[in-house]
Amino acid sequence: MTDRVAAAADPAPAAAESRAEVDVRPARAVLRADRRRSAVGFSMALPPVLLIMLFVGLPVVLAIGFSLGMTGGLNSVAAAIGQDVYEAEGLVTFDAYRQLFADPRFTRDLAATVLVTVATTLITLGLAIGIAVHLRLRGGWAGTLLSSLGVVPLFVPVVIASWAILTFYSGDGFLRSVFAQLGLEGPTFGFTVPGVIIASVWVNLPFALLMASSGMQGVPDALIDAARDAGASTLTIVARVLAPLAGIPLVIAATFTAIGVLGQFTVPYFTGPNAPQQLGVDISKYFQAFNRPQQAAAIAVVVFLVASGVAALYVWANFRSAKDEGRV
Amino acid sequence: MIWKRPLVVTAALSLAAAALTACGPVASTGSNAGDTEGGGDKTVTVFISGDTNVQDLWEKGIIPAYQKANPGVQVKTTIDLHGEHDQQTVAKLVTATKAGDDPGYDLVDGGFVIGAAAEADTLLQADPGKITGLADVPEATTRAGKGVGIPYRASSVLLAYDSTKIDSPPETLADLLTWIEQNPGKFAYNSPSTGGSGGAFVTTVLDSFLSEADQQALRTGYAKEVEAKWKPGFAKLKQLGKSMYQGGVYPNGNNQVLELLGSGEIQMAPVWSDQFITAQQNGVVPETVKYTQISNPSFTGSAAYLGIPKTSDNIDGAIDLVNFVLTPEGQKIIAEQISGYPVIDPGKLPPEVAERFADADPTALRPSYFSEVTSDMNNQWDQQVP
Repeated sequence: MTDRVAAAADPAPAAAESRAEVDVRPARAVLRADRRRSAVGFSMALPPVLLIMLFVGLPVVLAIGFSLGMTGGLNSVAAAIGQDVYEAEGLVTFDAYRQLFADPRFTRDLAATVLVTVATTLITLGLAIGIAVHLRLRGGWAGTLLSSLGVVPLFVPVVIASWAILTFYSGDGFLRSVFAQLGLEGPTFGFTVPGVIIASVWVNLPFALLMASSGMQGVPDALIDAARDAGASTLTIVARVLAPLAGIPLVIAATFTAIGVLGQFTVPYFTGPNAPQQLGVDISKYFQAFNRPQQAAAIAVVVFLVASGVAALYVWANFRSAKDEGRV
Repeated sequence: MIWKRPLVVTAALSLAAAALTACGPVASTGSNAGDTEGGGDKTVTVFISGDTNVQDLWEKGIIPAYQKANPGVQVKTTIDLHGEHDQQTVAKLVTATKAGDDPGYDLVDGGFVIGAAAEADTLLQADPGKITGLADVPEATTRAGKGVGIPYRASSVLLAYDSTKIDSPPETLADLLTWIEQNPGKFAYNSPSTGGSGGAFVTTVLDSFLSEADQQALRTGYAKEVEAKWKPGFAKLKQLGKSMYQGGVYPNGNNQVLELLGSGEIQMAPVWSDQFITAQQNGVVPETVKYTQISNPSFTGSAAYLGIPKTSDNIDGAIDLVNFVLTPEGQKIIAEQISGYPVIDPGKLPPEVAERFADADPTALRPSYFSEVTSDMNNQWDQQVP
């Protein structure tokens, strides 16, 4: 098995060997053929690499440079049009960041964004694990119904969903109407931070649920039965057997949810309050309405830094799963 | 031998990708639309920077009527929705003017016509000798076009109120602010960065604390030093926050405010005249919601201007189209299609149109701030008010 993997990973020696057996050409020709083949391989990979470098890499580098006060070259138009643009005297300047962090509005919005991200991730994971465990241990129509309902948001566009959630929880929405029928005063979640969390959970549940349930379906019955025979309670089985064995899909679900919520725009734009606002909306406001492209780029870099912290977790999980399977 | 062909193919693909990059930004704003027709005297291209209602006005109202009256003439449109790329559009227009090239369109309908495009000297002088339709437009309205803008319709922000709940609406700004504080949760305006009706409310409150000279400075240029005097105005807006809808919710965009008004959640709000009348016709807002203008100061409003790029290939065609828009027939289309205020002398209008807009005097409109000042206002509002 390992041999075959090694051979697949590095076909060149094997190919060279087979050629050596039927050696009709001099060594230099073989070498040239190899070189040509690697050139072909490289050129095959070139279009997507070029595309990513041009459309993703270059703008990212430009934006980071712009936020640090590099206003020349391709940034000169944005710098000429924008207001409050700081230009680096030497190599870089952190003035744009200094201005941002001196503004209580930004620190407030950053805190709100982190709060919404953490809360949404925890609630989403909790719901996904709950449904997946129910499906794995009990099954039955309730589990099937829950898991299929949980995937429905996947098929509803986020704009429509946000709007629907806003009208559901707004001052004259369904929730308050039901309360009013019973003579009670219901809560208004429209245009509030809890409203953003509710909508974010709704949008992100399907992916987490798919990851969690597929992870738990993969746990062999024998392990669960063995734990049960040894007298383990359901809670112990979940905590000691199911969750650890489905750990990697769960970490992946958590990181994807967190990164998605961190930079989201549509959900907070529709359902959120004017203050505190999520950073995704702030970036667009700074860029367009306030005409401050440099500050928008600086916020984007801050979001990127927070997201890379989460992404590190994802890389670690991937690495561990690769290690478990013996790939590394 | 066998290896060579894929090499060529992939190299060609890479080149194609590079070529795509080159034409991407051009195509995205669509300004090369006119290039293929360059020089054709029978085609006029209108560049629209605005909302879908303006697009409909041209595509479903003005253009079919104009083409019917002038068979053989082709009028096309290019739209930049909500004017999101105005800065880039102006930058390209300036470059085209400098190079003496056709910018790809012959007539511009957008806010930047009397702003950046006028300053950069890219547009043809609005000469009543050539543009004969201007003869019917009041002098003051044309003058606000900075010599290049051709006024063709107008709109202003009005105070809409639910007449079933409010018998006598406030008449001045001071009365309105008192009403808001006495009726918490029944008033809303959209955040100024998301729409002009909320922007007009904020501008009007800020202006009420400024001298006439300071207001004028903020309208005509980027008077950053005057902005410091906004402080009491923003403090007042902040103080009003708890009396707003849901104790401080500022909806996104003009339309959300209209919907709140229509559902009865709020009783009073600043609204755009044209959007409000259209919403009432659509049934979004019931007939019982009426509108009025406040005074001392009034809400802002302005005429919308057209501009003809100096280096356009078809200046004569554009002038002819403009003259058509300024005829009573053209003005009637504007009034019917988007409830825009006519700009020509009411005496020349069909009586039913003149009667409907009897109270709307485009010469008496109070203009809003200069574009950079508006960006600063949006930013400071976001910082200090919600």
